[in-house]
Amino acid sequence: MTASASWVEAVVAAGAVPASHVPDASLGRGDLEEFTGADAIEDPDLRVHALNDARPLRPAAVCVLDGIEQWRVVGYGGITPIVRAHAAAAIRRRGPDRRLRTVAEATQEVAITRLDRLPASVRRALETAGVPVLEFPAEDAGQPARALAAARVEVQKARAALERRLAEERLHLLAADEWLVVDGVLSDSPALSEHPRALGVVKSHGAQYFEGAELERALTLPDGHRTGVFRPRARGARRDIYSWYVRLWPWEGNDLLYGLLRVEARAHPDTLALAAPIAAWMRAERAPVATPDRRWDRLLYPIHDVETYLRARAPSDLTSPPASRIPHPGARLPRTAS
Amino acid sequence: MIERRDPSHPSQPPPIGRVVATEQKPATPHQFHFWTANETSIGIGAIVRVEGLGAGDSGRVVYGVVTDGFAYSDLATPLHDVVGAEGDPAKAAEHPTVRQEIRLWTAAVLRQTPEEPLQPVPLGAVHVASDVDVAQALRMDAYLGGAQPTAIPVGLYTSGGLEAPVYVDADFLLGPEAAHLNISGVSGLATKTSAVEFLLASIFQHFPPHKGRVAAVCFNVKGPDLCFLDRPGTLQDEDRRRYERLGVEPEPFQRVRYFAPFKADGVNLNTLRTHPDLVGDVEPLVWGLREVLDYAEVLLNRDDIDAKADAFIDFLADRVVDREFEDGFGGVHRVVTFADLERLFRSIFDGLELASRGGDSWRTHHIATMRKVRNRLANISTRCKGLVTDDGPSNDLPWGRFDDRTVYVVDVANVDPLGQDLVFARVVSQLRERLEHRDLGVDAVVVFVDELNKYAPADGPETYVKKMLLDISERGRYLGLVLFGAEQFRSQVHRRVVGNAGTVVFGRMDADELATPGYQVLSPAIKIKLATLPIGELMVRHPHFTQPIFVRFPRPAVLRGRDGVERYPPAADLPFEDAVARQLVKLDRRVRPNQVKDVIADRREEDVRRALAHTRQSRPQDVLAYFKKQLGGRVAAVPAAARESVAPLDPISEEPY
Repeated sequence: MTASASWVEAVVAAGAVPASHVPDASLGRGDLEEFTGADAIEDPDLRVHALNDARPLRPAAVCVLDGIEQWRVVGYGGITPIVRAHAAAAIRRRGPDRRLRTVAEATQEVAITRLDRLPASVRRALETAGVPVLEFPAEDAGQPARALAAARVEVQKARAALERRLAEERLHLLAADEWLVVDGVLSDSPALSEHPRALGVVKSHGAQYFEGAELERALTLPDGHRTGVFRPRARGARRDIYSWYVRLWPWEGNDLLYGLLRVEARAHPDTLALAAPIAAWMRAERAPVATPDRRWDRLLYPIHDVETYLRARAPSDLTSPPASRIPHPGARLPRTAS
Repeated sequence: MIERRDPSHPSQPPPIGRVVATEQKPATPHQFHFWTANETSIGIGAIVRVEGLGAGDSGRVVYGVVTDGFAYSDLATPLHDVVGAEGDPAKAAEHPTVRQEIRLWTAAVLRQTPEEPLQPVPLGAVHVASDVDVAQALRMDAYLGGAQPTAIPVGLYTSGGLEAPVYVDADFLLGPEAAHLNISGVSGLATKTSAVEFLLASIFQHFPPHKGRVAAVCFNVKGPDLCFLDRPGTLQDEDRRRYERLGVEPEPFQRVRYFAPFKADGVNLNTLRTHPDLVGDVEPLVWGLREVLDYAEVLLNRDDIDAKADAFIDFLADRVVDREFEDGFGGVHRVVTFADLERLFRSIFDGLELASRGGDSWRTHHIATMRKVRNRLANISTRCKGLVTDDGPSNDLPWGRFDDRTVYVVDVANVDPLGQDLVFARVVSQLRERLEHRDLGVDAVVVFVDELNKYAPADGPETYVKKMLLDISERGRYLGLVLFGAEQFRSQVHRRVVGNAGTVVFGRMDADELATPGYQVLSPAIKIKLATLPIGELMVRHPHFTQPIFVRFPRPAVLRGRDGVERYPPAADLPFEDAVARQLVKLDRRVRPNQVKDVIADRREEDVRRALAHTRQSRPQDVLAYFKKQLGGRVAAVPAAARESVAPLDPISEEPY
């Protein structure tokens, strides 16, 4: 019996009602959906730059960081969900042989619930089971739907913490001609957002920084072009960074966001000189294409590789419903006589 | 929180792979799949060890041999690669990241320990097999050790820098448990002959003493292949190292006896081993009536041998040959040679004609049957001239005096196919009879026959030779009569001949041959490997091995036929007098060739050949004197005296009647 299975069984034995529910949003991270605004840095306003003459940056080595989160409701104490969550992050390094190899990895399994809303026996069982317990806010505990949304935020925090820790540890080990590419924003971490060879690659565009004509220029960026460098306005605790858009594939015939990538780098004058080479580098990373992932148009293959690696190593019983009493919609039903 | 650790274990080499099983490709008790790093020493034919871990599998060890390999990437469809490279193949090589690839291997189970209960292969770590593992995997431990080991080195299993000797079990190679070896492969690579030469050397050096004495009879059916088994060949350091690893001394055969029939002239040997330095070792193979009559069926086609002719031949063999025989017309005959038999036939036909009894039968045999048998038998000595003698004694293999660890080469390469059949049938029959009566001189004989396609074809008429090969294949192992057969196309050899071979060896195979049904059990990868096998590498199937194994063997330590002919070019045929003189000199060094030439001057060649045969057979102290005696005194030619005659009655007519 695995450790995770043992704590789940312990709380069920203590009176929690077993459950098996994988929320739809548990397989990936959600986007922030907000408008924050930005300041143009490279040009007076957001402009489009062709990458025809840009020489791609070709670092000797690249470390690629990504993380995953998976979670499942494994029981209820009353109507309070008890969530089993798995977060993992890894850095895979690509050297001169162009192959990716894992250089750092961290995983964490946690239980997420609201302890004071659980029956005493279940709470005691959970507290003594040896699994870290994260609690969502008390105000979210009354409604199961809100509780699940809050649990999801906790999982994301756990994953982000792992990623940040691995990234910051790795920064100290980077060689002179070695870059760290992070799937997502840099601005969560002071160390990352200030490092000269750290790069954030953002493929979800829930947060928008422009309006009107500038937004149109950004979202209709032609293939093989980038926007000028801009500085997203600070959002909460996020640090100052520079950013620009790059179009990896022609969007015409698809969607505005098709092949659109936003790059983050440190807020430093040197970044302006590197914007074109980095954009050209990102375009060079289009191949190999990251199929069969449906986000392949903007998912860089090395990031896809790290994600594949992490999913291959994740607990196999988290996303499949082994104990459900009702067959999962996609599950194979037992064959019966007709 | 779990931190990643280095999985390598300090106490043993790290695993090279991991067994994987999916619903589509599950692990079974007979097959499993495992992956390795892209950079791996594993290849088709490699032997691996799987260690079971965890509940139920702890302590279980499975040995397997790699039978197939797959490589693929995470590419969903080739079209995606085209898209990524924008249709330019050159760009595909410039991708900054190499796609994830897998080396997935399929292995067939060789052995599981414990053997019961037989279960699917555990999903454990895969290791490269060591020497000990190879012995375990191939079940060689059963006959490598113990009080009476029966292991015979057959070659080296090589994979990933490992080199492990592979042994076959003498009980299953030379009987009695199983027997016979069949080797097939394309011609021209010298693999088949070389493999048999090496294996014979290995057998001679490792045949266990408790199993008795062993010899080999090799039929040289083409070129000079087996003509220099006693001469050292050229070995390279790699060969010597392999010999040492296998525990076989790299030396030519110590005891080889060569037999070859004469050419039509009756004095020059019909072999390529006629170089003056070597021809002295070649003994003539000469058979007379007695030797031939028992195998007349070989020489006469099926239409000839009806029941009546068969009965008459049996009558001759049982009642006439080698005994005093009264022909019923007042003549007494002792038929020993074809010439004697011819005299008997003439006597019978004359007697029947003169007796005018109106009957056409003699001793219940119809005259037409007798005439047919006479014609066919008389023709034998013509068709097989040099092998079959009309007159004079025969010279044969040393039946009853076979020596231990000795090779007897019977060179019939240049003999008429009919004569080859006769030689083969008689030699093998003699071996079988002698082994049955345990009076051959050895306990086991390996008979090496090349070109089984020709002698035991899968289709075609049921010849005497084919029946004999079937008989050896099916019953020889009880007698110690072991067939080592070689052919180019196994599919074209009689199924029962190849099917009864306990040990089967494959050299490089022709792709067409590999496409025949007999090779369906082999994976495509094994077939590809077989089609491209280098010289010196073979695939071996043996009763102890549950799967075929690839082995390398050293070059035989004997002179290859091709090299032998260059180093010892065959001598041109000698004139009759010189050939006779050389044979007598060989028998007695004191004989001077000129003396011989004087003795045989103006003598009939058949008289000289007969005298020579008697001398060779008797091996007297004074060879020349004995030869002279056998030749008899020279009778001076006396002119015929003029006979008185009566003048014709009618001087005008020349008609005497």
